[in-house]
Amino acid sequence: MSRSIIVRKKVQNMKKWVVAGALVALLPIAAGAQETEPGAMVIDVPQSTSVDDLLEKVRKGFDVQKREDAERVRIFETRREEQDQLLADAKAREAREEARSQALEKEYQEKEVKIAELEAALEQRMGNLGELFGVTRQISGDSRGLMEASITSSQFDNERIAFLESLGASKELPSIDELKRLWYEMQREMTEQGKVVTYTTEVYTPGGIEQREVTRAGVFSVISGGEYLLWDPNKGQLQELAKQPPARFVDTVGEYEGGEGLTGLAVDPSSGSLLAVLIESRGLVERLQAQEGGAVGNVIMGLGGIAFLLGVFKMAWLFIVGRKVASQKKSTTPDTSNPLGRVLAVAQDNPDADREQLELMLDEVVLRESGKLESLVWLVRIVSVVAPLLGLLGTVTGMIRTFQSITLFGAGDPRMMAGGISEALMTTMLGLVAAIPLVLLHAALANNTKKIVDTLDEQSAGLIAQQE
Amino acid sequence: MGQMIIDVEAFLETGGPVLNVIAIVTVVMWTLMLERFYFFYRVFPRVAEKAQEDWQARDDHSSWGAHQIRRLKVSELRMELEDGLAYIRVLVALCPLLGLLGTVTGMIEVFDVMAVAGSGNAKAMAGGVSRATIPTMAGMVAALSGLILSARLEQFAADEGERLADRLEIEHGGSEE
Repeated sequence: MSRSIIVRKKVQNMKKWVVAGALVALLPIAAGAQETEPGAMVIDVPQSTSVDDLLEKVRKGFDVQKREDAERVRIFETRREEQDQLLADAKAREAREEARSQALEKEYQEKEVKIAELEAALEQRMGNLGELFGVTRQISGDSRGLMEASITSSQFDNERIAFLESLGASKELPSIDELKRLWYEMQREMTEQGKVVTYTTEVYTPGGIEQREVTRAGVFSVISGGEYLLWDPNKGQLQELAKQPPARFVDTVGEYEGGEGLTGLAVDPSSGSLLAVLIESRGLVERLQAQEGGAVGNVIMGLGGIAFLLGVFKMAWLFIVGRKVASQKKSTTPDTSNPLGRVLAVAQDNPDADREQLELMLDEVVLRESGKLESLVWLVRIVSVVAPLLGLLGTVTGMIRTFQSITLFGAGDPRMMAGGISEALMTTMLGLVAAIPLVLLHAALANNTKKIVDTLDEQSAGLIAQQE
Repeated sequence: MGQMIIDVEAFLETGGPVLNVIAIVTVVMWTLMLERFYFFYRVFPRVAEKAQEDWQARDDHSSWGAHQIRRLKVSELRMELEDGLAYIRVLVALCPLLGLLGTVTGMIEVFDVMAVAGSGNAKAMAGGVSRATIPTMAGMVAALSGLILSARLEQFAADEGERLADRLEIEHGGSEE
């Protein structure tokens, strides 16, 4: 196509030159005509002495002028002939050029037809080759992306990527060699993907670049020294992971590297995405150290901690009291170091009281004892209820922060909102984390307290009656 | 069998650490419930029988002392009946809370991933989402299973307590409670 345009342009240029040539040929004629005119007005100024002299001079002047005029006419006549001759020449030349132009025009048209024919022939002969060019570019671009991301790149040098990049970007038809190379690289990638290979390569560690022997399992995982490595396609390097996957996955690596025959290996089917996410994830302790819960989170932790400590303390105390009450149940002599002993002591101290009086006195002392037993249990209960509420409060304050940042920066970047969201979620989590053990603790406390109070309440009279 | 263990491990892995806690709570809850069922249907009838025989063996069924002793006996047996029921109740109540905790920790992971990879990468977020939803579901299932049986157990304890009081008959004529 482009070739035909060039040809057409050439022909058009030629036409222009022909016309311009004709014009240049005509120019001298016009220029010669102009040149002749100014010489006519040259007159000598006379030196007058007397009137006669003047007259004589005027007469002489007339003669001279007459001669000059005659001479001028003569020259003009000759020049006119010359001009006529030149005009005739130019006209003849114009006719010649006109004829040539027509001939060229004809040739041009003929050639245009021929060009069209040749172009059609070219298109026909090129056939699928044009398509092949596009496909080659597309395929080499795609393959480059795939191979860059592929773990096999850690094994081969960058040359194949550079080749694919240049092939994908080139504007010319690929050569046979290039096509062969492309096919070879694709085939090699496919073959290598199915292999487990051990080789030495550079590994980027926090301490710098190291040459290490690594084992590549297909395109899924690269392992070295009992650890997983991560292939970073952007930087084109193998990296040490900051954090390894759970132990039961890492354990398989050691077996795999040292193993003979068939051994199992946990692979990352996403070719590294899962491992990359793993590095970024942070544990609860790291989050707490970063104080992601904010002020509300600290309040929850403080309250929860105090309630938990008091609850545990109360639990231990109840346990001791419970043991003492149990041993008191078996003995007949009241021991005032435990609540049941104190209740029974009332009966022993008042042997003369009748039943109704005794019941009243027992009720009173049981009430007093149960008050002591039930102290602090309410605190654990209340904190276990308040902690999730505080968590909810933190959620709301966190969401307010999030929406404030949306107002300021828009919702486009989730990173901007991350602080508020993590506060919201962390407080909710802290609330639940504080509440769950407290609920359990409260259940245990309430259960044990109830047992002892029931013993005092319902059994004290029975125990007295049994002893009688 | 080995495949089953692997399946369960994979399930626990996708559910995250909270799912382990839910699993432990569920196991403890079911152990307590099974212990209760065993106690109610195997141990308790004999204990109640013996208490009734002891009571029948007494001459005095009407004095104040006898009343107090009966009260003592009933109270002791009720305590035995209700032993552990409070824990079962609390564990049942804990299951949805733990599910919620899992939801929150899972969502934290989702937002972590979003902060790193942006909101476009749904594949990377899926891990956090499964850690948010699986514990919620597991918590609900555990709570529902526990709720039905614990209601049955509590009903049983209450009924048996009443029946026990009736079985230890009082001869009227003495002072009533």
